[in-house]
Amino acid sequence: MSISAEYAEEHKSSPAVLCCRAEEGVVLSSHNLEDPEIFDDLVDQGLLKLDGCLTIGDVLGAKLLKTCDSLTPLTKDLVALADKPAEAAKEEAPAVVAPAASVGAVAAPALGGSLKIHIGEGKGIDIQIPVGALGGTSGVPVVSNAAQAVAGNAGVAAPGAVATDEEVVVRSLTRKHFKITEVKRGPETKLEGTVLTIREGIEKECVDSQKLVVDLKIDIITPDQYHTYSNTIMDVQPIATKEGDDEVGTGTTRVLDGVVMVVSGTDENGVQIGEFGSSEGYLDENIMWGRPGCPDKGDIFIKTNVTIKEKTNMERPGPLAAHTATDLITDEIRKVLKKADESLVVDTETFNQVRRPGKKKVVIVKEIMGQGAMHDNLLLPVEPVGVLGAKPNVDIGNVPVVVSPLEILDGCIHALTCIGPASKEMSRHYWREPLVLEVLHDHEVDLTGVVLVGSPQINAEKFYVSRRVGMTLEAIGPDGAFVTTEGFGNNHIDFASHIEQIGKRGIKVVGMSFCANQGALVVGNKYMTSMVDNNKSEGGIENEILANNTLCTEDAIRALSMLKAEMAGEEVKKAERKWNPNVKTQNIELVSNVTGKPIELVENETSLPMSDKFKEKYMNA
Amino acid sequence: MAKYTDKIIYMEGIIVEVHDGAVGIDLKGRLGFLKIPMRMLISDYEIKVGQEVGFNMSFIEQLSPDVNEKYISNIQKRQEP
Repeated sequence: MSISAEYAEEHKSSPAVLCCRAEEGVVLSSHNLEDPEIFDDLVDQGLLKLDGCLTIGDVLGAKLLKTCDSLTPLTKDLVALADKPAEAAKEEAPAVVAPAASVGAVAAPALGGSLKIHIGEGKGIDIQIPVGALGGTSGVPVVSNAAQAVAGNAGVAAPGAVATDEEVVVRSLTRKHFKITEVKRGPETKLEGTVLTIREGIEKECVDSQKLVVDLKIDIITPDQYHTYSNTIMDVQPIATKEGDDEVGTGTTRVLDGVVMVVSGTDENGVQIGEFGSSEGYLDENIMWGRPGCPDKGDIFIKTNVTIKEKTNMERPGPLAAHTATDLITDEIRKVLKKADESLVVDTETFNQVRRPGKKKVVIVKEIMGQGAMHDNLLLPVEPVGVLGAKPNVDIGNVPVVVSPLEILDGCIHALTCIGPASKEMSRHYWREPLVLEVLHDHEVDLTGVVLVGSPQINAEKFYVSRRVGMTLEAIGPDGAFVTTEGFGNNHIDFASHIEQIGKRGIKVVGMSFCANQGALVVGNKYMTSMVDNNKSEGGIENEILANNTLCTEDAIRALSMLKAEMAGEEVKKAERKWNPNVKTQNIELVSNVTGKPIELVENETSLPMSDKFKEKYMNA
Repeated sequence: MAKYTDKIIYMEGIIVEVHDGAVGIDLKGRLGFLKIPMRMLISDYEIKVGQEVGFNMSFIEQLSPDVNEKYISNIQKRQEP
């Protein structure tokens, strides 16, 4: 199929291949050329060879010397290039010695005339030309590295930014930390010093509170018991409460350090809730410790093992019942935490939501699951990561909901998402959301807010919510936006559509998702030029290790650098056709070179212990 | 790594189970049964039992003769009363 003149202009440096038969003597235009996007597939299948092929920019306006069939790559002997003004000298060196052959094109001097270098066959070639010899302007070598998405010149503030614009603190959130060193059972729930006691017999009330819950057990897991078998982990939650009448996202929050709530469970038949790639097994082998959504090494787990009615593990009410039953325990702890003595506070942290007028405005769009069942999120509960007062985003129709960055950090999302352990964002993830923190604290950008949008099941609904995202951003009017998604699959359809809706309004956009091998995008569009892959696994797969492939600080830094570069008008290089983990390494290096700050990379599954038997085999092999 | 992943075969199936979080699919020609999470089904219409689905797949190959003890241990746990 031929291409438009505009498209040809965009793809000037792509190979020129005829889309249909063309007669000798014809002057080549975009109508004669095939869409370069399809070439990779044709080359892979051996149907097309692009060796020596000229670029679209070369052949436009040139005369065809010979009648050719469709899909003929246009080479020098087929096209009369002489009619075209010489733009740049070209080297033609068969790569005998690879490094020497990469001479690169040299820009023509402004004084007229052309420098032509022709090398018939090359080996160990060094060409050195004094800069002055080329006339007034020096020749600029255009070095084209392998096409890779590169963050470009990061960390450059917008030139127009005025230093006099003062930062405005919109609202503040204070976190008071209470240290817990021991969790035990006792006659009543209480907090004494650093010891948390949970009332014995509370399990029965949890079970009675939910029709679908048939059993609930509480396990208190201390660090020396990490090598314990557990059913699939549905969620990891901070234990926190608001002081007085404070609302989520503002005022003061009290939080327990060193202890987390962990929800796990099965149905009566022993089928894991959130079947498919469940993370059941030994805790120490299945958790990527220290990820934003995960427990940290040293945390004590208050783990509920919930048994729900048979065959409800895949229905919406099942997982919700497991979460609600667990929240009954959390809520009892919240009540004692509210009353805890001020002297027990070990640390106080303040988060300011700062607006920076005059700086580039950015918005974070977070796509959250909304297909139903465990693909759901409870939004804006009364207590941090609570249940009471929250609305499931499936019931809201998955439409965009605008929240403040501080609401995100204060547990406005109670995550039910249960599928794909390695890429799911659990409740604790939002509590420590790296992208929100990174952007909020960056003095070069003005974070306006966070837009949460659900991902429905049916395509028509996906496009419905996606158009609302476009309109929401149009109303906000930012310079740049991040679009993030957890997991992969059909939610990549709306992910792509959000990027399109935002991009076509002239807003620069960077997408973030787990992709790599297994999560490769299903669709794309011309606005999807800047993407950050959240993958951390060795093989680029969903490796069933809890939160292994979720968004971490290292990804947030890359995405922010990429968006800044885009907003400054720099081009982000095209990605390679297949997943290549080196792109990430190179971008990290580029970013830290510019910022002067080393970026520490998180560990992946290879740092976890292997089961003894497996290790034995592995060591003997 | 599997060796024959480039042998792409077009397959069809019938939706036989619809849950809030998953669908069950019988592969046409009695070639097996597949249960997938909702997220992995691309749908333009309301999902109903009896609808047909299509997809490309390849052969399923063993990756090595080794047994992963982690999965054995999980299976054993599941079978415990």
